[in-house]
Amino acid sequence: MIDRKNARLLALAAMIVFISTVAVLLARQFNIGPERPAPDFRTFGPKTAPVQIYEYTDFSCPACRHAAGKIDEMMKIYGPGLRISFKHYPLMDIHPWSFHAAAYADCAGEQGKFKEYADLLFENQEKWAQSKEKPKEFEAYAAQLKLDWPKITACADSAETLRRLKLDIAEGDLKGVNATPTFFINGRRAVGGGQLVDQARKFDNILRAAKP
Amino acid sequence: MNGKTETTDIVGLLARLAVGGVLIYAGLMKALAPVEEFGYAIESYRVLNAQLSLWTAYVMPWIELWTGLLLAAGVFTRLNAVLSGLMLLGFEAMLGQAWLRGLPITSCGCFGSGGGNSIAREFTQNLVFLALSWIAARYGGYWSADKAAETL
Repeated sequence: MIDRKNARLLALAAMIVFISTVAVLLARQFNIGPERPAPDFRTFGPKTAPVQIYEYTDFSCPACRHAAGKIDEMMKIYGPGLRISFKHYPLMDIHPWSFHAAAYADCAGEQGKFKEYADLLFENQEKWAQSKEKPKEFEAYAAQLKLDWPKITACADSAETLRRLKLDIAEGDLKGVNATPTFFINGRRAVGGGQLVDQARKFDNILRAAKP
Repeated sequence: MNGKTETTDIVGLLARLAVGGVLIYAGLMKALAPVEEFGYAIESYRVLNAQLSLWTAYVMPWIELWTGLLLAAGVFTRLNAVLSGLMLLGFEAMLGQAWLRGLPITSCGCFGSGGGNSIAREFTQNLVFLALSWIAARYGGYWSADKAAETL
């Protein structure tokens, strides 16, 4: 038989466990918590920028292509006020080659040309995204950018690359990302290019103040 | 209450809060990160296979968080201090074998993606917390829920 003191302590322990569990689950849902840094080659803008954007993107998604243009525009307008980090969130159920594209883009990034490779993937999305066989474009873009293709394929097959991509996807899942592109602008969620611009306007004053 | 008792009480309280605090922080950082991240960190110690590492990664952050909170609040202080000590011993075993085998571990996984120190530094740090757990188990009753429940 549990005595009165232990009964009180058990009730308190149960309360602490319950409240802390609910708090952590809510924090996950509302995206409170540390953001995993993206690799340097996928991050653009100064570390100290007042507005930090994380974009979960998929190279096969037309809305992501559209948003990429908006991001480039914002980078030009706001310059040092903005830092953008790309995270991969390939929707593999509907885009058969997006995981491969993400891996090749990262490996192009290892050779210093992530952005250039990503731009080519987005610009020519219709040519490869729904291809029945493995698209030849992946190699062609590497050649166009004078990248070492055998090195890229080895890198894309490596456990390290696979792990990095899986972690991006897992992080997106944890944050409740279910559509691309999803942005987190100083922690605030925006889905699609339209919401991105709307949210960015809220930081307009900060962004303009940061202009040189 | 004489002076000596008061000193040990305060040392016990501080030890309890220190161990509880570090466990809360470690548990939170991991519980708010993708489970795969901690799973990969555990896997890199080459003790558990991928599946077991992932299961451990699901469970461990919650145990750390709950134990830390209960210890800091002084609920079943001795039990939670012993549990903390056992966890720290487990971490020491993992770190120690990795150190001896010279495994190329870049992040110990101790505090999620917040990074970590070298294995040697983590090992030493854990030794300090292990000692603090013992102090908390022995003298951690001051300002605790355990004491409050006795007087209510």
